[in-house]
Amino acid sequence: MSAPSTTTAHAASMPRPLISLDRLHAWFAYDKPFWGKVKTWIKPVNNISLDIIQGECLGLVGESGCGKSTLGRAILRLTPLTSGTIQFQGHPIESLNASALKPFRPKMQMVFQDPKASLNPRMNVLNILKEALVLNREVDPEHHLEESVRLLSLVDLRPEHLFRFPREFSGGQQQRISIARALATNPRFIVFDEATSALDVSVQAQVISLMKTLQHQLSLTYLFISHDLSIMEQVCARVAVMYAGQIVEVQDSTALFNAPRHPYTKALKDAVPIADPLHKKDLGVLKGEVPKLSSPPKGCHFHPRCDFRQDLCQEQEPAPCETDPNSWVKCHFHEQLWKQGALKDH
Amino acid sequence: MDNTRTMTEHPMLQIKNLAVDFNTARGQAHILEGVDFELFPKEILALVGETGSGKSVTAKSILCLLPKSLSQSTGEVWFKKDNLLTLSNGKLQKIRGHQISMVFQNPQSSINPVFTLGEQISRLIRLYLPDQIESVMKLNNCSRKKAIDTIAEERLNEVGLTDVQRLLKSYAGQVSGGMAQRYRIALALLSSPKILIADEATSALDVTVQAHILKLMREICQKKKTAILFITHDLGIAAQICNRVAVMYSGRIVEIAPTEDIFKTPYHPYTQGLLKAVPKLGQKEALAYVPGMIPDLANPPKGCRFHPRCTYTMDVCRRRKPPMTAVGLSHRVACFLYDNHPKPRKVEI
Repeated sequence: MSAPSTTTAHAASMPRPLISLDRLHAWFAYDKPFWGKVKTWIKPVNNISLDIIQGECLGLVGESGCGKSTLGRAILRLTPLTSGTIQFQGHPIESLNASALKPFRPKMQMVFQDPKASLNPRMNVLNILKEALVLNREVDPEHHLEESVRLLSLVDLRPEHLFRFPREFSGGQQQRISIARALATNPRFIVFDEATSALDVSVQAQVISLMKTLQHQLSLTYLFISHDLSIMEQVCARVAVMYAGQIVEVQDSTALFNAPRHPYTKALKDAVPIADPLHKKDLGVLKGEVPKLSSPPKGCHFHPRCDFRQDLCQEQEPAPCETDPNSWVKCHFHEQLWKQGALKDH
Repeated sequence: MDNTRTMTEHPMLQIKNLAVDFNTARGQAHILEGVDFELFPKEILALVGETGSGKSVTAKSILCLLPKSLSQSTGEVWFKKDNLLTLSNGKLQKIRGHQISMVFQNPQSSINPVFTLGEQISRLIRLYLPDQIESVMKLNNCSRKKAIDTIAEERLNEVGLTDVQRLLKSYAGQVSGGMAQRYRIALALLSSPKILIADEATSALDVTVQAHILKLMREICQKKKTAILFITHDLGIAAQICNRVAVMYSGRIVEIAPTEDIFKTPYHPYTQGLLKAVPKLGQKEALAYVPGMIPDLANPPKGCRFHPRCTYTMDVCRRRKPPMTAVGLSHRVACFLYDNHPKPRKVEI
């Protein structure tokens, strides 16, 4: 397999990060005593530096409990941060208080996994949308109805749906209402937190194609969080792989799947059951369990489960190493593995 | 895996014309309508379909687990010369768990949260394996409690659980999803059942954990000769571990065939659409999808229930329910396109 080709999109226009994270930490106190110091910290976001480029859809994959959702919420300042910086369009927002954050809130939206739980069952669609429209200063309150109709048409729903309640819709439609609500504030950035995981394949395909259309139409930037590697390539141009509170690899999505550079990415890819009976896989290659976020292993967090570990992995945490523009991998031996072709398909 | 099975073998479980109606506020909903299939020994049959297509209802009605006050089941479910639908509760109790056992979607919620895992497994060991307890007691010359612990450890090791002593003292909420599901599978296999029904057994788990469970399922089928009915919405799983696939749509089986055949030459338009909607690693182009939505079961479309979403709809589709037509060796499809002149419409996958 040839070396991963950097997409021309990156090189052509000098990428400008919409969001830039620098050494971001979001730790939770596990046993906060009334008096004295916290003994155990849960570290779902542990030293993450990442740029999300204007207009891109960045994927974030990992097993459950690796901190994907917490990272998504931390970027939107929905979760208290421990340290590190977040820049949104060049403005540092990590230390702003609630009122200072207000102008930024409408620009950053989120769509959640379970559409049923994230829509108020006692509100009809119009009220759900109106609630968000209040934040959009560009829309006159008198025009909220027309704006709601426009939002619904963006997500392929009809005006008569305005007066129905969430329970009257199917899962796919509910998720589209969630998307319409997210769009109501005219955002620049949307976090999709497992937004299609609760949907059936055919409905998932509908929602994904809608998401892509909207992204081009409204020039949005997405962070697409999912545990499902197979839809990543459909949706995202660049994918970040997360393991135990850290990002271990960021790559162009095609390169990531054809030639992963981190052993964990390879293991994750191998675990996906593919819909081809002629291509049966040896399932379940990855041994062991996800480490506890309160006490991740020393050195490289992945080393207890890694087939290629050496002594260095147990002692020293690998530094991110740039492989291509906007791509990097956190592995001591990635160059060696790459040369040996150890992570290629056999 | 043996996929060239001759279908002359006697089926382990035969379901004939199974129909289930639910009483709802808006009248009777025909959840299942004429479901026909059979499960052969030593095979893994996948039952795939969208949410609301009736997969779980099929599984539950096999064991008569649906509430009688809300639903009526008609048809026949043959297991070893017994029609399960007509059996008394007492007789059913001898089959449930003993000969046909079930694993549910969410492992943590299908384990009792107020008893330790050890208490729950030992209760079942006492129920299912009294002879084995006696023999272990004689062999090791130990107490009954020790013997039960030994058996529990052995059975839990079989499903790939280690550190069993700690596990037996834990509660459901203290173990990870993957461990809980392995434990559930160990419970389901205690009685060495002839049939294991796995209802979305891996849907709540991570891909990496799922991969282990799938591998385990394959091993169970091969080593213990248990037939598995694997209910899933993930066609990838079906392709990886199943011998045959039955595709369900709106309470009917629309296509049933060996796995290779269904992925290579899907006949039914719905199967074709479903296969196109599956995201694949290494595929960049947009996903296709079946337009429209699954029908309202209280008021389903007449004739073929798929006709409002189908691209090949003919007149007859609106009027009559399509019968199951054989289009190949053990490949059956319910579609009028192949009624008299079977010609596959191939899709590029």
